[in-house]
Amino acid sequence: MTIATRPLSLVVNGRQVGPLDVPENLMMVDFLHEYLNLTGSRLACGQGVCWACTVMLLDTDGAPPREIRTCITGAHFFQGRHVRTVEGHAERDADGAVVALSPVQQAFIEHFSFQCGYCTPGFVTGATVLIEQLKRQPVARADVETTIEAALSPHVCRCTGYVRYYEAVRSVILDTPGLVVG
Amino acid sequence: MIIRKVWHRVLLAAAVIVVLGGGFALAVLAGAFERSVVSAAVDTPLTPEEIAELAPRGRYIATAADCVACHTAVGGAPWAGGRPFEMPMGTLYATNISPDPTYGIGAWTRADFHRALRDGVAKGGRHLYPAMPYVSYRQMSEADVDAVWAYMLTREPMAVPDRQDSLPFPYVRQFMTFWNLLNLPGDVPAPAAQKSAEWNRGRYLVDALGHCGECHTPRDITMGMVSSRYLQGAVIEGVDAPDITPEGLARLGFAPERLAHFMRSGMGPEGVMGFAMYDVVHHSTQYLTDEDAAAMAAYLAGEPAPAVPVVAAAPIAPDTAENGRRLYVAVCAGCHGIEGEGTPTMTPAMTTNAELRLPRPTNLLAVLADGIPWRDFPHGNRLQDMPGFTDLLSDAEIADLSNYLRATWGGRAPDVAAADVATLRRARD
Repeated sequence: MTIATRPLSLVVNGRQVGPLDVPENLMMVDFLHEYLNLTGSRLACGQGVCWACTVMLLDTDGAPPREIRTCITGAHFFQGRHVRTVEGHAERDADGAVVALSPVQQAFIEHFSFQCGYCTPGFVTGATVLIEQLKRQPVARADVETTIEAALSPHVCRCTGYVRYYEAVRSVILDTPGLVVG
Repeated sequence: MIIRKVWHRVLLAAAVIVVLGGGFALAVLAGAFERSVVSAAVDTPLTPEEIAELAPRGRYIATAADCVACHTAVGGAPWAGGRPFEMPMGTLYATNISPDPTYGIGAWTRADFHRALRDGVAKGGRHLYPAMPYVSYRQMSEADVDAVWAYMLTREPMAVPDRQDSLPFPYVRQFMTFWNLLNLPGDVPAPAAQKSAEWNRGRYLVDALGHCGECHTPRDITMGMVSSRYLQGAVIEGVDAPDITPEGLARLGFAPERLAHFMRSGMGPEGVMGFAMYDVVHHSTQYLTDEDAAAMAAYLAGEPAPAVPVVAAAPIAPDTAENGRRLYVAVCAGCHGIEGEGTPTMTPAMTTNAELRLPRPTNLLAVLADGIPWRDFPHGNRLQDMPGFTDLLSDAEIADLSNYLRATWGGRAPDVAAADVATLRRARD
């Protein structure tokens, strides 16, 4: 029995990918791992409850990016779309070497916001999506913590606890001009 | 002269009609046509011993009648009322039925309680609005009403005042006498001798206690239940309360034993109990005994129950099917399975899902738009949330997806148009 495939083209971390012949029923997380060797998006629950596998779905029309769970979203959903995985947050040089971490990544290191690190890519992606939203729609200073909690509450961590994640994200929000009003 | 005489007669006749009609209306208003089904036997108060003995059974009867769903507000004091009912003419609030003498029913008599449940008339002759399902509770036995009365008397009194309803005219209450004349049956049906004891018990559970018809029987222009369309389905809070006649249930895939299981667990091959029925399972039907769940199912499924038909896929245009299938794999199959098989204890199967077999796509479209929050289910089960898809899929895509689902697994004609999705989207915004 052959597996039915269909050509898939998309942009991943700014790079045009495909067309590749991809099984029709493949989930996106498996595509990232097996076809692109991008293993940073983590498969954990496989049923969309832990958010360790999320990527950013970037709209070309300037709308804020959205966070998408790749373990429950088919690879072909991303046909013609732009996504950014955890590997795409840092600044890289022409050879692909990391030149500078993103502010969220840097804050996670400074706050030691991980222990085993398995869920961290999802948290970094979720926090980055939140920062992008705040750039378009700043939040009142008094609401910063509840905003972080609401944005990151779907993400599950089983060892560090959430305080360090939230502290890292709060520092980015407070240190970045224009994300907070009042 | 002749013309004048005729005129006199016409005027006289009109006057007689007005007087008679007015007299009749006044008589109705005064309650002259009201028929109580409460016997004089309940004029004697229950003794403390009787109350103590009846209260445990009263707890079960009150659960089967789902009293708590309305008389305890979310986060509110137990039995202190407060749940709002948004009506076209204003908001009603369920009342405090704890035994507090000032704010609850602590000063009521046994007979007051019987008349409220079965006649729709509260202490002091105040008419209840039929949001309180006294049309259904009218069929309760006096023994069961006594048991509930004993149960309520043994609850903690809650000094919580009732919330005032926002109806524009408080004196509308007395006009319920007209409504009752039209919509409150004079008497309660006798047991059907040709049917089994189980079937009769089931009818009692469905009609008297469970008050299923209050949502599943359509209402006429006076908001009374249309008896000729008993349990044939109605629109409640913007979605379809399905047809739960024997034929309707068979079309959804329910054999009696499956229905009994579904009423108690809220989930199964037929999907997940949703919308207002989630609360019904949560507060009421999960606690039914084996025998009562089986009786309820036996009555609803019919005696004898019609065969559950095998659902064959309905014809669908190839391009709609292709696009619908792609969308299904893209955003549904990760949880509901590539072939719609579902994931045990996590997500319901599509292949046998009752929601896809409903005549109208309303409920499916509502779920696709709003998703479902994560929730606890009986027996320690908990289902994760399902996301809504209006911000990820276009109206045309949701239409294609709905048509694919309904045609493939529901055997329903793929007749959802993008415009239907748009209409629904506007209605829910």
